[in-house]
Amino acid sequence: MIQYILRRLLLMIPVALLVTIGVFALARISPVDPVLVFAGEDRDPVQLEAIRKQLGLDQPLPVQYVAWLTHAVQGDLGRSFQNHQRVTEAILERLPATAELGAAALLISVTFALGIGIISAVKRNSLVDLFATSVTLMGVSFPGFFLGVVLILLFSYVIPGVIFPPGGYVPLTTNVGENLRRLVLPAVTLATASLALNLRQVRSSLLEVFGLDYMRTARAKGLREGTIITRHALKNALIPVVTLVGIQIGAIIEGAVITETIFSWPGVGRLAVQAIPSHDYPVVQGVVLVSALSFMASTLLVDVLYAWIDPRISYSGTSA
Amino acid sequence: MAGTTVPITIRRVSDDRIASTIYFLRRNPRMIVGGTIVLAWVFIAVFAPWVAPFDPIKVNVTDSLIPPSPGHWLGTDDLGRDVLSRVMWGSRVSLSVGAISVSIGLLVGTSLGLAAGYLGGKFDLLIMRGIDALLAFPALILAIAITSALGPQIQNAMIAIGIVAIPAYARLTRGQVLAVRQREFIVAARTIGASPLRIVTRHIFPNVMNALIVQATLSTAFAILAEAALSFLGLGPQPPYPSWGQDIAYSQRYLPNLKWWMSVGPGIAIFTAVFAFNFLGDALRDALDPRLRRSGT
Repeated sequence: MIQYILRRLLLMIPVALLVTIGVFALARISPVDPVLVFAGEDRDPVQLEAIRKQLGLDQPLPVQYVAWLTHAVQGDLGRSFQNHQRVTEAILERLPATAELGAAALLISVTFALGIGIISAVKRNSLVDLFATSVTLMGVSFPGFFLGVVLILLFSYVIPGVIFPPGGYVPLTTNVGENLRRLVLPAVTLATASLALNLRQVRSSLLEVFGLDYMRTARAKGLREGTIITRHALKNALIPVVTLVGIQIGAIIEGAVITETIFSWPGVGRLAVQAIPSHDYPVVQGVVLVSALSFMASTLLVDVLYAWIDPRISYSGTSA
Repeated sequence: MAGTTVPITIRRVSDDRIASTIYFLRRNPRMIVGGTIVLAWVFIAVFAPWVAPFDPIKVNVTDSLIPPSPGHWLGTDDLGRDVLSRVMWGSRVSLSVGAISVSIGLLVGTSLGLAAGYLGGKFDLLIMRGIDALLAFPALILAIAITSALGPQIQNAMIAIGIVAIPAYARLTRGQVLAVRQREFIVAARTIGASPLRIVTRHIFPNVMNALIVQATLSTAFAILAEAALSFLGLGPQPPYPSWGQDIAYSQRYLPNLKWWMSVGPGIAIFTAVFAFNFLGDALRDALDPRLRRSGT
């Protein structure tokens, strides 16, 4: 297993390098001169030249890339053009809010997918099953931001008493109750799309397992239905779900950008969105890089988990 | 049986085709539902200037914020613009972004996949590492990053969503090429001296077609959703030009006043368009590519 993890990590290096080249190139393909953005109102040519030199933009592109990468691997992603705050610091400041939202969304998605998915597969063609298949179909096509708008309309304005506020964030350390109250709508919005995919996966892999011989054996030897489902079916049916949850970490990272914008949630995604209109490239670059690397890490983690959960899977000798 | 005559009915080939198409469609109701909604949106997008009841950008402050009524089926916004007309014109943006970005992804991705799969070796390694790097980015984050770098314009949104779509086509095509590369008919073509270009275009490509059609339909759904998300963030067409995502973002400021109709029209439009392409894609997958069919669902 350790050998497998090491090999995967080695394979990740060239991809990660290509990712850094891509992220670096993003700021350079822009038609807007970063020096003008950095200088703001000051358009004195001598001053502009000095800033260009200070930012290292007078160097050839490969030199600029190596300098940027050297700083990036040391955790220095540059400074924001707008408020000159260190990008790493800005991301770390907002990370807890995004992590809280992502974790809540993942929890909602997996819990409901398992609950409804199991009932839907066990009671196939029942009302719950019909509900589950409809949710699956609707969920993947319903734009998250529209759902957010509908939820705000219903729970913050239409139903009297403001059940859940339309936005804003109160840190968990300040007021737990208020934090959770403000978390509900964004977390449900973010969870919906992945709930649909998870639900479909739980249902279909359970149905597949139900048709296998060992399930018939379990029934034949007189085991209770509950034991058959939890001890025999779920154990095998959940393996593909683990992969799917891993893939959804990516969906949650990208969904957070939209959800944080709708609900004024001060996370990493909103940081990037706010940086776009002012051409604050170091911030956008930083967020994109961190998102891509987190996504890569989560994919690796899922592959390792997959091998750990299912002992039949052997990765020795095969390249991933 | 001796002495009885069996009447022979001679039917034209075209009649058989129509009959088999009707039989096929009856067995695939999802294709009828998905296809009908897709065709309806295409019709609205193409004929928007004629079917939209009002000018979508003409400001008419005397008619502002009218709720849905017989005069304005989906109501009007704060500037008195008819929401239904904006939704109809907005379909042009969504569908054109869908068509063009999917074409970019299809063309580039399929070419890369064909070349990587057929040529193999270092070329394959290089291309696939590049594809892995593209896949390392969460799709929407990459689209947002590219559009924000190139500038908030509809053309840039098309390019960004097109680039995001490349890996799916490249991987799909490469996989299929690897599967058929050693088959007898390819070896035979090579033996009689067919050029690599001819083998790829005439013998390998037709084997990938079905899977590509399914992928193109499903990625159109993604492209419409991604365009709406980009527009929602202000990275699509700029005001006053109508766009579904942008109109929902704009309507948010009127939620406290319960002017719900400003967001419901474009929201339902996005949902129905994405739903139809997903539905059609799923039905096509079942019909054209049974190997990809999901069991149990």
